[in-house]
Amino acid sequence: MVRTGVSDDEGVLATSADVSSGASADTVVSAAGQKLKQGGTDAAQLNDANSDGAVLPRESINAHIHNLYVRQDFDECLKVIEDAVDKYEGLCEYPIYVKALIKRQTGQIAESLQLFQKATCLNPHNIANLKQVGRSLYLLGKHKAAIDVYEEANRIGVDDWEIYHNAGLCYMYLKAYELAIENFRSANQLHRHDSTYLQLGKVYTLMENYKGAIDVYLEALEFSPENPDILTTIGLLYLRLGENYRAFDFLGNSLTHDPKNPKTILAAGSIIQDHSDMDVALIKYRVAAVHTPNSAQLWNNVGMCFFGKQRFIASIACLKRALYLDPFEWIISYNLGLVHLNTGQYASAFHFFSASVNLKPDFPSSYMYLAITLAKLDDFENSCSAYEKAIEMESDHLFHLNYALTLASNGEFAKARQQYDHAFRIFEGLDDDSKGADMEVVEQFDTLKVALEQSGA
Amino acid sequence: MVLVPDGLDKVWRAQRLLLRQRYDECIEICSALLDKNPYDQAVWYLKCRALTMKNYLDDTEIEDEGVAEVLLDDNAIAKLPRPGTSLARPLTGAKSGGASQGVRPVSSSGRPLTGFARPGTMTRPGTQSTDVRGAFAGNRPGTSRPVTGSDRFVRLGTASMLSEPGGPFIAVEKLDLRKYAARPALARVLCDYVIYHDHNPKKSLELCAIATQLAEYKDWWWKARLGKSYYQLGLLREAERQFQSALKNSDMVSVTLELCKCYVRLDQPNTCLDAYARAGTNHPDEPQLELGKARIHDAVNDMAQSVTCYKRVLSIDSSNVEAIACLGAHHFYTDQPEVALRFFRRLLQMGVSSTELWNNVGLSCFYASQYDMCLSCMEKALALANDENMADAWFNIGTIGIGIGDLGLAYQSLKIAVSIEAKHAESFNNLGVLELRKGNVDQARANFQTAASLVPHLFEPFFNGALLAFKLGDFQESFELCTKSLDAYEDHSDSHELLKQLKQHFSTC
Repeated sequence: MVRTGVSDDEGVLATSADVSSGASADTVVSAAGQKLKQGGTDAAQLNDANSDGAVLPRESINAHIHNLYVRQDFDECLKVIEDAVDKYEGLCEYPIYVKALIKRQTGQIAESLQLFQKATCLNPHNIANLKQVGRSLYLLGKHKAAIDVYEEANRIGVDDWEIYHNAGLCYMYLKAYELAIENFRSANQLHRHDSTYLQLGKVYTLMENYKGAIDVYLEALEFSPENPDILTTIGLLYLRLGENYRAFDFLGNSLTHDPKNPKTILAAGSIIQDHSDMDVALIKYRVAAVHTPNSAQLWNNVGMCFFGKQRFIASIACLKRALYLDPFEWIISYNLGLVHLNTGQYASAFHFFSASVNLKPDFPSSYMYLAITLAKLDDFENSCSAYEKAIEMESDHLFHLNYALTLASNGEFAKARQQYDHAFRIFEGLDDDSKGADMEVVEQFDTLKVALEQSGA
Repeated sequence: MVLVPDGLDKVWRAQRLLLRQRYDECIEICSALLDKNPYDQAVWYLKCRALTMKNYLDDTEIEDEGVAEVLLDDNAIAKLPRPGTSLARPLTGAKSGGASQGVRPVSSSGRPLTGFARPGTMTRPGTQSTDVRGAFAGNRPGTSRPVTGSDRFVRLGTASMLSEPGGPFIAVEKLDLRKYAARPALARVLCDYVIYHDHNPKKSLELCAIATQLAEYKDWWWKARLGKSYYQLGLLREAERQFQSALKNSDMVSVTLELCKCYVRLDQPNTCLDAYARAGTNHPDEPQLELGKARIHDAVNDMAQSVTCYKRVLSIDSSNVEAIACLGAHHFYTDQPEVALRFFRRLLQMGVSSTELWNNVGLSCFYASQYDMCLSCMEKALALANDENMADAWFNIGTIGIGIGDLGLAYQSLKIAVSIEAKHAESFNNLGVLELRKGNVDQARANFQTAASLVPHLFEPFFNGALLAFKLGDFQESFELCTKSLDAYEDHSDSHELLKQLKQHFSTC
């Protein structure tokens, strides 16, 4: 009777399989002693016999393997594991387990899955093995199979946060968001972890429930207040919700912990830029440019900084480079259109706005600027239809006001009056902050009013 | 049959024809004269010269390396040379001073695309692909035939022999070379004839050796020819010694060029640059020397240096096609399409007209926002295109389509590009991106895979595939593709970021 696959936890002594079949756990020492006398061919450094012929148990090597693994001395570790596996003819759980871990870390997941499965065969009740099998399946993209394994592991009865966490990840990939949230919550009840919070927040973001996501992240922040990833993510979410001040708080906080993260720098820079502090933003971008010199978003922001500083040539150069790097980014085309509109190159502006509209047809401002450009190019009819398209999508006082201006300058005063009234009504409905944001708008209202009165409309 | 008017001396007539480069007629007259009097040395001289000139090949230019040279190259000095000291291991990263791989695409040898397709820029494999498959792949579309190196001489030789009625003019094997070597004028003509017409470097070597000896080792011409013979036989070190010795006798540009050819074959770019610099002090206005320097800098990826050299070439010879094309490409890839356009326009003014040029003009126009010109240029490029470069033109039209947001045009152009050339990897990659935007994940994946299997030197398909696999949750595939992407472009920050995330996934729990 040979015992196979003794687990570490139980701490039972075990010998190699070549012990005579009658040997039980009690007779280990004598049996091994016999073997030594027979010649001891495999007396490697793994199994040093004591002077009195006693043999170390097969677990004794585990500590050594563990040490090597933790030191990330993978080559040496694999060598020791190979020796152990040869010696015990594959009947050793821990070395196989570690070998699988190493294989995974070097990116050979399929092999690592096989090894974990082997370890599970040796000891089907070890929850660690099952967890790793599930993890490997998850990494290979076989999410359903992974969930089955986790369910199996749950049946063993030990509550483990990792099981819930990983099952949640699988559900997330299967787009079963409710189940994923449930699993992440269970994981957090057992043990709180940054990663679980991050994933939970991600699920909420995927469901476009940004408030929920922010709540999750804020909860995570109480648990680990210095995690730059969480800080950045909250900042970005606030930015998406339009709460720039709070976003900047979190991004700034994140930058103090990790000053070189390009994503954070880009987000923080864009807020600084929104407040017209171009030089500070440029300094921030300079740090990011070292790490990601080929980032289209970065060049786009740099370009708009120069635009803010009225340096149009530099701005166009930067934006062009951004467009070269990522021709699918509609906002770069849109920005280029703006710059060209400002420099009076209306034909170029038209091309960029039309490209932007082609790539993203549901952004009303593009249509307004397209209309302005068309008006400047003396294409009154198309300009009007572009204005109407923009207004149809969203009613904004700027759209109406610009439309009114175009109509007025083309002599259509009655229609202009109509648009002017629309614009004025919307403008009056705004709060004081947004009213005072752009003095030019107020000026234009006044001049238009005068012009309309003079024409008698 | 060439008619010589009565009263006109036939030998004089042949002489004039030779001067006017009408070699066939000259040969005909000479043959008729030699039939009557086989011992007329003057006529013999003329015919020999005419035959040589007919088959003459400017061998100071660089040449393609054949499969045998590439695979069995035992001339390299170090197995693992430091970056920048070997043509097989060019400079990388910021040191090169040129555009990064993210901006300027690379050719199949892993080098930045040059502005001028010359032999050697495309074939010599870099560090990655020195295997039999890579060498035999052939870099032109539609052919799997590689260049077979010195065989070219052999082939040319056989062709010229066939065209000659009545067997070879001179049976070199039967000649008493010692006798000829003693007559300097005839010997030189004979030597050139053996090298350029017969392509028999072994015989010419024999002749040169005797002649040099008779000239008491003081004649640079014989030494240079000796070096040329050694070079054609593949004895590079001996050739180098002869060229150097010839240079000591007399500092000639052509000899320097040949010496540098030796160094290139020996994979010693820095020694080569030294040789050019030394010759440059004595011949400051020689464009070939500057051009050679620029080529070497180009080959080791030292863009900043090569650009200054090209500019110097242009200041000496303002209509040098190679320099203009390379400068144009350089400016194009360093965000100056307007300047690039001026260079390409200059080429057009000089009368160069090819698909590639019109294509470049079109692209420069596009990036310089001159949309009205750009599509008509591309049309012109397509009109001139043949099977080899039509796919590239369509690919660029696709790029323009993406740039102006006309994704339908882009998709169709790329499809056409792929249909013309089933191995056009760049088109497959971009098609994949377009499919991805349409939401056809499986098709996109298939396109990336096709692109990646076609060209291992592009990082884009690998990275795109890796990103897609990562998003789909297949981390194993993502990891493999990401590693390959970094093999192709080691400084790609997005790949590094992805790999970091993958490693995190692997190591947690």
